[in-house]
Amino acid sequence: MVKTAEVVIIGGGISGCAIAYNLAKKGVKDVVLIEKGYLASGATGSCGAGIRQQWGTEMNCKIAKMSCDFFETANEELQYDGDIEFKQGGYLLLASTEKEHEQFKKNVQLQNSLGIHSRMLNLEQAKEIVPHLNTEGLVSTAFYEKDGHLNPFHATEAYGRAAERLGAKIYKYTEVTDIVVENGKVKKVKTDKGDIETKIVVNAAGGHSQIIANMAGVDIPVYSERHQILVTEPLEPLLGPMLMSFSLNIYCQQVPHGGFIMGRGDDTEPRDLRVTSSWQFLDEMVKTATGILPPLKKARLLRQWAGLYNMTPDRQPIYGPVDDVEGFYLAVGFSGHGFMFGPATGLLIAESILGEEPTINIDRLNLRRFESGDLILEPSVV
Amino acid sequence: MRIEEHPVLEFKRGKKVYFTYDGEKLEGYEGETIAAALHAAGVKVLSHSDRNRPRGFYCAIGNCSSCFMEVNGVSNVKVCIEPLREDMDVKTQKGKGKIV
Repeated sequence: MVKTAEVVIIGGGISGCAIAYNLAKKGVKDVVLIEKGYLASGATGSCGAGIRQQWGTEMNCKIAKMSCDFFETANEELQYDGDIEFKQGGYLLLASTEKEHEQFKKNVQLQNSLGIHSRMLNLEQAKEIVPHLNTEGLVSTAFYEKDGHLNPFHATEAYGRAAERLGAKIYKYTEVTDIVVENGKVKKVKTDKGDIETKIVVNAAGGHSQIIANMAGVDIPVYSERHQILVTEPLEPLLGPMLMSFSLNIYCQQVPHGGFIMGRGDDTEPRDLRVTSSWQFLDEMVKTATGILPPLKKARLLRQWAGLYNMTPDRQPIYGPVDDVEGFYLAVGFSGHGFMFGPATGLLIAESILGEEPTINIDRLNLRRFESGDLILEPSVV
Repeated sequence: MRIEEHPVLEFKRGKKVYFTYDGEKLEGYEGETIAAALHAAGVKVLSHSDRNRPRGFYCAIGNCSSCFMEVNGVSNVKVCIEPLREDMDVKTQKGKGKIV
């Protein structure tokens, strides 16, 4: 293992790999990424991998659009010899209350103002896109055809390999045990395979971000919540877009392989970093999914798993430097949408570290926003 | 060769019945698995992989999905554990399963 590095990134999910790639691409020589397991072994590899731009806050919309634009050309850009399997079948968001309908209208207006050409669809129009949708109890829908989903393992691998080609070093199965801070400055990262001296550390540890922050003596207002998910056997194409409902608490998509992947949130879920599965999830998930898409009653389930949402009070990520510890950067608190923000995270954090003019100003997402209490809550999260 | 003992299923061979395999009339015994009847009739290719490679009788206990066929219009039937009945319509499945 190397003894020194310009930048040490902690976490080999989409965020960490995208940051490593962008730094290496910008010419930073000694970029090191430390990953406790294998690439995408945490939240990235467990996620639903949906890519949507239909958000309810300006920052989330901008970051999502920038990321989606990148995914469209990612295979070429990253010179990946596989396929990230980006399918732009759109996202169909279901409103089941008047309140939700009004929120969607507001969101669509905001999105349109930012170049995201989403639109409201009535239930008949929605059925043209998803013929098997059960519209009973629904009020309206919102749709954007450029949303979609992709394969999180391939996407992360694509970034990781591209970063390595540009000279970054990735140490897998290596666990960070401590971060040494002296006189308010980052000095060293300790791992179970040796220590690395560095002036810059990026916390991209996903569900474990709080533990890493604490190592540097930084307190961040996040918690990790278990979110469960399941997949059916592969079936012939039946569902084009991702279906999503905030009030029914479901997201459901059919991936190119043919399987339906679906999940739901539950704020009473354990917050102790467990990623076990429960039968209660299966029971609720199946009821909701077959309710909105009745043919699924005949689908056979293959398996279920879980991952961690790293939640912030406003459901928006924490980006950028930490005022109290020089050289310590955060790319955490994605609240369930870190995968789809990966490309933007990579570029914006790299720009922030190098002091470049930011493509999107991320000052509003700095850790200090929680002190001032200047929060804009994202209303649209499952 | 006819499979008469199964590692996890107990099947009592019943009367002789007729069924169709891709339109062809075949015979087997009620209560044995569809796969057992096909095997006895010399049918070794039950399904195809995504890359269209042939897949045959493999785990024989309903685990491996190598024997998915369309039975009476229903996709993804594991014929290695599904009992044979009179007049069953067994077909080689084209593509992935259909639920509508």
